[in-house]
Amino acid sequence: MKLGLHTLLVYLALFGFLGPLFGQTPSGGRISGNLEANGNFFLRDTLIGAANTPQYDRQIFGSDAWLNLNYSNWGFDFSIRFDVFNNSNLLNPQGSYTDLGIGRWYIHKEVENFDFSAGYLYDQIGSGIIFRSYEQRALLIDNALVGLRVGYNFGEHLRVKAFSGLQKQQFELYKSVIAGASIEYFLLGKEGSRFTWAPGFGVVRRTLDDATMNNLVATINTYKPTDAFVPRYTAYAFSLYHTLNLGPFVWYAEGAFKTKDNMSDPLAERVTITGDTIVGKLIQAPGSVIYTSLSYANKGLGLTLEGKRTENFSFRTRPQEELNRGLINFLPPMMRVNTYRLTARYMPATQEFGELAVQADARYAISKRTSVNVNFSNITDLNGKQLYRELFTALLLKKARVWQLTTGVQFQRYNQQVYFFKPGEPLLENVTPYVDFLYRYGKRRSVRFEAQYMFTGEDSKGLGYDYGDWVFGLVEISPAAKWTFTFSDMYNIGPGKNSPSDATSGKKLSVHFPRFDIFYTHGANRFSLSYVKQVEGVVCTGGVCRIEPAFSGVKVAVNSSF
Amino acid sequence: MKHILYGLALCIALLSSSCEEIPPVINPFDGNPVDTTVDIENQQRQVLIEEFTGVRCVQCPAGSAEIETLLAIHGERLVAVSIHAGDFAPPFPQSLVDFRTEEGEQLINFLGPPISYPSAVIDRKLFEGENDLILGRNDWAGYIAEQKAIAPRVKIALKATFNETTRKVDLEVKLYPQEDIADPDVRISVMLTESNIPDIQDTPDGKVNDYVHRHALRDMLTSYLGEAITEPLTTGTILTKNFSYTLPAGWNEEEMDAIAFVHLGGGSKEVLQAIGTHIIE
Repeated sequence: MKLGLHTLLVYLALFGFLGPLFGQTPSGGRISGNLEANGNFFLRDTLIGAANTPQYDRQIFGSDAWLNLNYSNWGFDFSIRFDVFNNSNLLNPQGSYTDLGIGRWYIHKEVENFDFSAGYLYDQIGSGIIFRSYEQRALLIDNALVGLRVGYNFGEHLRVKAFSGLQKQQFELYKSVIAGASIEYFLLGKEGSRFTWAPGFGVVRRTLDDATMNNLVATINTYKPTDAFVPRYTAYAFSLYHTLNLGPFVWYAEGAFKTKDNMSDPLAERVTITGDTIVGKLIQAPGSVIYTSLSYANKGLGLTLEGKRTENFSFRTRPQEELNRGLINFLPPMMRVNTYRLTARYMPATQEFGELAVQADARYAISKRTSVNVNFSNITDLNGKQLYRELFTALLLKKARVWQLTTGVQFQRYNQQVYFFKPGEPLLENVTPYVDFLYRYGKRRSVRFEAQYMFTGEDSKGLGYDYGDWVFGLVEISPAAKWTFTFSDMYNIGPGKNSPSDATSGKKLSVHFPRFDIFYTHGANRFSLSYVKQVEGVVCTGGVCRIEPAFSGVKVAVNSSF
Repeated sequence: MKHILYGLALCIALLSSSCEEIPPVINPFDGNPVDTTVDIENQQRQVLIEEFTGVRCVQCPAGSAEIETLLAIHGERLVAVSIHAGDFAPPFPQSLVDFRTEEGEQLINFLGPPISYPSAVIDRKLFEGENDLILGRNDWAGYIAEQKAIAPRVKIALKATFNETTRKVDLEVKLYPQEDIADPDVRISVMLTESNIPDIQDTPDGKVNDYVHRHALRDMLTSYLGEAITEPLTTGTILTKNFSYTLPAGWNEEEMDAIAFVHLGGGSKEVLQAIGTHIIE
């Protein structure tokens, strides 16, 4: 169901009608928007594996862009977004994707306590465990629900909403129907009591279309009777959740259950009719998630405890979909969001089929100039097998408006078998000390240094895990309010088993991955030009991850809001 | 508040009441294949599956096993080729065979590099709802079944003659259009594959030295884009194409197949019909 001319005409008519009202108008209408555009020049570098894609081989340049326009008037909100992908490597980092068109539009209206939205909708129930439609451009996830949503506020304390539609897939739509509803209550304590309670309940159903079911049946028909099952058209997911604020405490808890659903389990074993044992098959099972977090914040002390148990909770618009495609829900990640280059190198993707995870985070401001942060997370599968463990520490020292020093160390254990899909690989262990120093030498003028060193362990053959040891350094200079220059280098100082080798001797090579950026910011406009050599690695946003190949080339980017 | 809760309970009851559905009928494999084409007159749609693989690809043996399952079910109505190309294809130092081919590397780019493995292209068709030609293995069986239901626009007969002395293979491909094919760019591609080659392969259980490689693309007798068919393809005509190739020493002619398929060029790359035959019957 391509978004064709008719959709465009509807929007041209709509915005043509609104055209004279652009900007602030006497009738009170307001238009706003933003533009994001990225261009990549691909420069082949076979040593680091930046090669053998259409962009490196023949296309040389690829780009992607989004222009979003919003207009509000007469109690209506209108929005339209134009998406452009030209030889883009965003959808498939190994491939080239070209298409363009209306990527999103919606209309929203409130009529007293009643409201409705139609078009491409982003929304979620609870924390998203049973339903979340959202956009994440770094991974080109855009699973907007294309349909209708209605809501009603029963006074100030109770809201009910319901929706139905199809999930977006780039400029197409999946055919399975997704419908859901939620009811949320909000109770406010007496004045000064610091008490609120917000319970909610949601339900989502997904009904497969006939083509998907036929495809599914054809696949199951290739299974032995012992592995075959009768697939179901419809699966339901229910969720009960609440947020309790009580003084310095915030407690969130959510329990979700999904009825028997057809899912693709990438780790389940199956014997084929020809006698081969293979990993990965379609299964049918009910699923559940229990998630809770408890936070305390008072007088410079902040504590957060989180726990989550997941079992068979892959919820997709088509069970055949893999990786980040066709996701109906979102499972909250249970690890620290790291930002430094090396501390963020090994990130765990949320496991849909079985995960037991805990996380604790403590922050304490010893004085106005000194604070500490300790974070611990541990993830296992449901049989207790270690998937991920991290201990992250940070000490922050600062002199207001002059300098700031952040330093600490990160300890990690990372299951390469699960997260890198590399069976037989040992548990990767590493220790990464880091330091980040910012010095301000004038109004909006500063210089910042980063240094990190990642020590990885060695396997039984004496080879460093994955790429082995890394050292990273960065200098960031902001000589004027509008300009920032950044130079960094990530150097594979102790190459490991996956580091590139010399073609003749086979000796592992220490390779530099330099990066140089220029940023120019003027008002709401930001421009950047970067020369980048980037090692392959995992890119995650909120626990949703994918393996990104190496990159070599020049990137240009524009961001503008108006 | 009470009314709302009643309303909510009613909604849940309504949703739950529809939990019982009339299920689809499944027929798991009963051990009695095979769906086979016998002669040109009765030839039905035969489907091409091009799998992308590599000796360093841990998950690829699962894809190859899946293809064997599909071949057991569909017989000669499924034509399979495993193309070793991409980042997982470079041989190990201890590999006996370098399965990579120039055309294979061109095809993996031409048909779209896979986002994950196992991956395959079925009839080079962009199926409705898919973004690219490359398909994960959960989709293979369904789309093969879908393609098999289409009447062939052209039928193909393929005859191989092998000269043991010169090791020369002569292929005679006859095309029997079943309709007037007016597409502006129709092509024919011819491949040679070899099966049952024991050599090292990475697998979920580690490297296996005597893994049996099947349907490995060895070479193409046309360019990777195929050879343009310039003659009109009209109903009732028979078009004959001849190809020759001398097998290098080391290739086991007993395990080799020739594959021919007619496909579109330009914007659509869709395969209209495919056929495979042993070099030596």
